[in-house]
Amino acid sequence: MATETYLGKIEVSPLAVASLASDAVLGCYGVVGMAPAGTLRDGLVEILQREATHRGVEVHVREQGIVVDLYVIIEYGTRISEVAQNIMDAVKFRLERGLGMPIAEVNVHVQDLRVSSA
Amino acid sequence: MISEHPSSDVNSETQLRQHAPGSRCAGYSFRQAIQTSARWLEAHAEFVNSLNVYPVPDGDTGTNMHLTVRAALEEMSHVEDDSVGALAQALAHGALMGARGNSGVILSQILRGIARALDKKATFGAQDLAAALQEGAATAYKGVLRPVEGTMLTVIREAAEAAVRTAAQEGAGLETVLASATQEAERSLARTPNLLPVLKEAGVVDAGGQGLVFLFQGALRYLRGEGVEEGPVAAVQRAVLHSPEGQNYGYDIQFIVCGQGLDVDAMREFLQAKGDSLLVVGDERTVKVHIHAPRPGDILDYGCSLGVIQDVVVENMQAQHEAFVAKQGRPSVGEPASRVGIVAVVPGAGLQRVFESLGVNAVVSGGQTMNPSTEELLSAVESLPNQQVIILPNNSNVILTAQQARGLAGKEVAIVPTKTIPQGISALLALNYQADLASNVAAMEEAAKAVHTIEITTAVRSVRVNGLEVNEGQIIGLLSGELVAVGSNCLDVAMEMLERIHAERMEIITIYYGGNTDKAEAEAFAEGVKARFAAQDVELIDGGQPHYQYILSVE
Repeated sequence: MATETYLGKIEVSPLAVASLASDAVLGCYGVVGMAPAGTLRDGLVEILQREATHRGVEVHVREQGIVVDLYVIIEYGTRISEVAQNIMDAVKFRLERGLGMPIAEVNVHVQDLRVSSA
Repeated sequence: MISEHPSSDVNSETQLRQHAPGSRCAGYSFRQAIQTSARWLEAHAEFVNSLNVYPVPDGDTGTNMHLTVRAALEEMSHVEDDSVGALAQALAHGALMGARGNSGVILSQILRGIARALDKKATFGAQDLAAALQEGAATAYKGVLRPVEGTMLTVIREAAEAAVRTAAQEGAGLETVLASATQEAERSLARTPNLLPVLKEAGVVDAGGQGLVFLFQGALRYLRGEGVEEGPVAAVQRAVLHSPEGQNYGYDIQFIVCGQGLDVDAMREFLQAKGDSLLVVGDERTVKVHIHAPRPGDILDYGCSLGVIQDVVVENMQAQHEAFVAKQGRPSVGEPASRVGIVAVVPGAGLQRVFESLGVNAVVSGGQTMNPSTEELLSAVESLPNQQVIILPNNSNVILTAQQARGLAGKEVAIVPTKTIPQGISALLALNYQADLASNVAAMEEAAKAVHTIEITTAVRSVRVNGLEVNEGQIIGLLSGELVAVGSNCLDVAMEMLERIHAERMEIITIYYGGNTDKAEAEAFAEGVKARFAAQDVELIDGGQPHYQYILSVE
């Protein structure tokens, strides 16, 4: 993503966008981790470590704006639809504010549920 | 509460009633406490909505938390088991299913933790309460990888910590522990702007945390026997909004600006100089503004210059403050002590709602046997702030128990000897708050006599009574408590009795269908009655009562 100013270009790499998005996601209530982007392989989901959480975000630039796909792991026992909606709102808000660019879509893919110790 | 405690001194709000250390809370009180909490939150939901800035300024935390609690209560209302473990479990499940918004989800996690701590307990005491709050906080924190401090999470954690500290002290009772938790919750809430910069910027405390504080306060109010006013008092509560500059009474101004390319920061900078308690949130196209300022016109003009304004609210804070102060002067919110309080014995959730909507202050559910203990009636009487109380037993078995409770109570208690639910309702409608106790009792007794009660149920054994042969399993009908009809289905028995009392000369037939009656069946039953008695008003209400398939009130 690039914007022109009178002095030159500002480029924000997809990686930077992904980091910003994953940071927003991890602060959302109900999210206990991120999973690698893409469809499940072998049905096993690995939870991403702190430094690698941006790998749970896919960023695509479209005409209408940026499309973000998030691959998350949610806490078992919460209402998933509400948690997902909250993630969408929070990421959209954070990205639009941080980048000043329109976000066309935020898609949440719940890859796994974690059952916390009783 | 199950244990004895001294009556509250209604004229001194600041006096804490010290419960004995061993006092425990049982099902009935738990239900009432949660309901009072919910009402208190509901009354302030709009105010909580107005605080929303984090994480997304969507302005509905209050509504979301309120709806979540309502869903929890709905689930709990279906539970017959009166052990707090079962009730808490239902609350948690209902909240999970009905969680709305971020704050709703967090609340559902807190309730989940509380339910886990109270699992299998019939009652709970001071230690249990502290442990439950602790578990609630811990579960809430587990639900997110990066907990954000300065939100609801901080408030519940610090409140739970205070509860645990207090519970460890010698002689700490339930009320002391809850009071300590509530106080710490309030303090923690006030500190949230220091933890979360966006709160400080907007000049507000955390919305979810504020909602939590209202829930604590509501429960504490119940424990102290203080009433909770129905309806929104949000306008009055503006006086407690976190205000850095102090109080200049002017106008409370709110509106939404719709436009293009709105610059929230520039707006905030401009308005900061114009007044206090500034709140500017939104995006390029929609911005909500809230401010306390001396001249509303100036603020609104500014809004108009940026775009189109809507949802404009301008309130005179001086007048609000005076009204608020005047309310504080009264002994307790809601009921002046001179008014008569009513305690009614009512089985079934639907019927309880009917009685509450008619102004009953305390409802005692008789449970399956419709027979409360003297203890339960007594504590209901004691729990009211009123010095004069009328008991409506609504069942001939309960009249004796009510008399015992009257003998033991420290207040003036009168009994209107209602033998059935419809009699109780009639009596309640005759209540006149302006009249004194004696004339009310007389009027209520008269009214009770004027209504006919028909009760339809299944015979549990074979018997011969009033010249009638009854076999177990048949449908029997009782008229004002006396068995007068028997048959093979409810409608036939009801019809026979309605004809006997010449219902065609009456005006209103109200049908309350019971907990074990199918709604469709009840509707068909009502249609049957309507068909024969077309000139009468026939109403069908979900009473939820045990045992009796139908209770008919005819007047």
